[in-house]
Amino acid sequence: MNKRVLALVCAAVTISSVSCVSQNTTQQVTLSSEQAAEAVAEESAAASESAEARSEESSGAETGGQLNLYTWEGMFPQEILDGFESDSGVKIDYINFDTDETMLAKLQTANGGDYDLVIADDYIIETAVAENLVQKLDASKLSNYGNINPMYQGQFYDPANEYTVPYGAGVLTLLYDPSVVSLDIKGYGDLWDASLKDSVGLIANYRVINGVALKVLGESFNTNDLDTIQKAGDKLVELAPNIRVIKDDALQNDLLSGEISAGIFYTSQATSAKLENPDLRVVFPEEGIGFGIMAGFIPSNAPNAEAAYAFLDYILDPERGARCFEYLGYYSTFSASDPLISPEYKEFLTLPDGFNSDMEMIENISAEANEKHEQIWTAFKTASGME
Amino acid sequence: MKAIKRDKRAAIAAVLPMYIFTVAFIAGPLIYMLVMSFLVRDESWGITNELTLRNYLHILEPVYLETFKQSLRLAFITTLFTVLAGYPAGYFMAKLPPVWRGRCMMLLIIPFWTSSLMRMYGWIIVFRANGSLDSILMALGITDKPLKLLYTYPAVAVGMIYALLPFMIYSVYASAEKMDWELVEAARDLGASRFRAFLTVSLPLTMPGLYSGIVLTFIPSMGLYFIADILGGNKVVLVGNLIQEQLMRVHDWPFAAALSVILMILTTLFLFFYRKLSHSDKLEGLV
Amino acid sequence: MKKLPLSGIYITFILFVMYLPILLVIIYSFNENKLTSVWSGFSLRWYGELIRDRSMFEALRNSVILAAISAVLAAVIGTLGAVGMSRAKLRGAAVMEYAATLPIMVPEIILGMVFLAFFSLIRLPFGMTTLVIAHTAFCVPYILLLVKARLAGMDKSYVEAARDLGAGELRAFFDITLPLIVPAVVSGMLLAVAMSMDDVIISVFVTGVNTNTLPIKIYTQIKTGVTPKTNALCTILFLITVIMGGLSSVIGSERKSRVKADKNKEVIN
Repeated sequence: MNKRVLALVCAAVTISSVSCVSQNTTQQVTLSSEQAAEAVAEESAAASESAEARSEESSGAETGGQLNLYTWEGMFPQEILDGFESDSGVKIDYINFDTDETMLAKLQTANGGDYDLVIADDYIIETAVAENLVQKLDASKLSNYGNINPMYQGQFYDPANEYTVPYGAGVLTLLYDPSVVSLDIKGYGDLWDASLKDSVGLIANYRVINGVALKVLGESFNTNDLDTIQKAGDKLVELAPNIRVIKDDALQNDLLSGEISAGIFYTSQATSAKLENPDLRVVFPEEGIGFGIMAGFIPSNAPNAEAAYAFLDYILDPERGARCFEYLGYYSTFSASDPLISPEYKEFLTLPDGFNSDMEMIENISAEANEKHEQIWTAFKTASGME
Repeated sequence: MKAIKRDKRAAIAAVLPMYIFTVAFIAGPLIYMLVMSFLVRDESWGITNELTLRNYLHILEPVYLETFKQSLRLAFITTLFTVLAGYPAGYFMAKLPPVWRGRCMMLLIIPFWTSSLMRMYGWIIVFRANGSLDSILMALGITDKPLKLLYTYPAVAVGMIYALLPFMIYSVYASAEKMDWELVEAARDLGASRFRAFLTVSLPLTMPGLYSGIVLTFIPSMGLYFIADILGGNKVVLVGNLIQEQLMRVHDWPFAAALSVILMILTTLFLFFYRKLSHSDKLEGLV
Repeated sequence: MKKLPLSGIYITFILFVMYLPILLVIIYSFNENKLTSVWSGFSLRWYGELIRDRSMFEALRNSVILAAISAVLAAVIGTLGAVGMSRAKLRGAAVMEYAATLPIMVPEIILGMVFLAFFSLIRLPFGMTTLVIAHTAFCVPYILLLVKARLAGMDKSYVEAARDLGAGELRAFFDITLPLIVPAVVSGMLLAVAMSMDDVIISVFVTGVNTNTLPIKIYTQIKTGVTPKTNALCTILFLITVIMGGLSSVIGSERKSRVKADKNKEVIN
């Protein structure tokens, strides 16, 4: 191949990609209104189609087709997935993403199409709604809509309850093993105690852990003030000598095997640790509690929104909901399911009666604040490695 | 003259698929990345059309330079130990009877056809407090209390070496296998010690294999940050971690792209100097 | 041959270390406990759960198809590329070779992102096609580098002799060059399959509806934690590969001994 030809090809590729980058951004803006109109049209078309299908097939409940369910692996027990398939005649294609951001990137390239039902974390849903990738939910299509626990509704990502059905909530849980910790841990601040040297484990979410430091300083998780965030960073570096491990998956194993003796866990991890060793102590920190909600939404151009409604209604059934939360290990977000959760799980999956501590959700913050957060987080991890 | 022309035509036909594939599916995406590294991020999600150098200047902050230092350090340590452990294995494998060579090759790769995540979990079981290694050492009376091995630097290094060893062994094997062993015999007959014969005959002849082995271990070791996460408890922060967090948590794609470009340049420089120093110029091409 | 024991011991040791973590994964697949590293008793529970999970098998099928196609594609592209570049000095070859090896120099995560952006730019629908392209892209360098190392310093006179004796270009390639580089091509393909079967970070970006792969299923359990079901899955996968590997090496050794016998015949003749 000639050098000049090569150079020409490279140049052509560059130009086309640059122009496409710019096109893409403008396209998205102009598309959004068309998209919305299209979505509405498609939705009604899909509705009438499925109505026709229903009238044609005397068997009744059949919605038909395929449900493209997009979420993490392991979010539903197999019985529920199988049960839905045989009851509705809809085949489920269970597609997985690793992070919320992967999901949003994929959803964006698909223009809100391809997937029928997505279950993801609260903060990313706020972004997805802002990017016009979510369609409004028609609550009248969900006969079990009333089963949702109103405590988990009307949150920052969906203040008017227009888009989502909450499915599982997590509380940042402080958990420790009293047989090896002499300290009576009451709050996050106690993790800084020198007696816990090299024996604290943390989940690897920077907003959560930086948020803990902010809470110890008496600040909000969602402050946009760079100096305050930097102060939290300085505070975190003081914690470094106590850190044994920072990781997201299966942190509870380290507590159970004695690798660590205290730490901050996700709800599902705390649940499985407590089931394994009931002597472990759960602390609702005196500084206040952070919590997060996972919720299901239907993308703006979902190919089979009807199937998504059918599935949501199916799991909203109190009995099935209870089975889902037992399997999932997160707090139940369906109040109708609460009484049906078996006693061995009950204490982990429903909040204690009259629970009314300071609860705050981690919300999206400004780009600069976010950047600062990432910087203090990297500094903190590096400091932990130096010890 | 005619033969040369014919040769050239055949060569062009042979490299054509690679050229087309590379231009279409590799140059394109990577140029896109390069362009992205000069753009400004959008407030919450995505990129804008403005050009900037901010992303590259941003890398100069001490906390980010530190991650480059850590990555290079780990990559060097990993490569060094992979050479020490892998070269003899590949070399010895080439000396085995042909039937066993094939078997060894299969045996070596089979573990790598299962999930690397699961293999790292296997190492966790080995290293963790009161785990397999602790039990054995304590049973033998070598240590009397659990070593805290998991989530340390050595644990990360073991995981990295483990993950990259087959690349080294295969490369060395591929070039040692075609070596003319009679040359070694000849050197020995002429009175060279076994070690000297190895240094003067075998080593130079297996240089191309060692070279490609180093390339295939050093480069990936800059990017295998998930091992540092799992076995190092996230306390060894590599450029890979940083890129992931910038993309996935901070949503700063241009900065992540800039970090990747710098990483690419660093790797290229390493390869360039390595080639100059080791005189592997016989190997054509930049790599 | 007297030297064999020492080298034999060393190779055995390396193989032992390679299999050590796998062995533990297998043992823990029979663990009754839901947690992957707390042993609480023998159970086949996870194998039961695995068998009921159809989506796992679909994912496994997708992964195998993907690995096979991309390893073969990468082998063809990489081998021809390496051979072509060794045959004649081509202008721009160095640049192209460098470009072809770039996918292993860039962290997977950003490669996944740019592939996602690029494929959507050229309006390629996400699915098996995009997966194959992405996987081929990061498999080519392995084969290219291994074959190059094999070809380096190899005597070109064989090929020239064959050509002088009137063999066509293709004939010379298949009869002379290919047999000489087979070990490198095979090891490159074995590595490529391993890389492809294990990739999740790139796959998760370029996959589409109906093409979930096995590693994606394994890695995306982060939210709920990895259960021994995954250990069970890895054990089964491992057994399948051992059986396949065993079969292929038996077949290979038969073929090799036949070749050897032929050679001996030639010598006698």
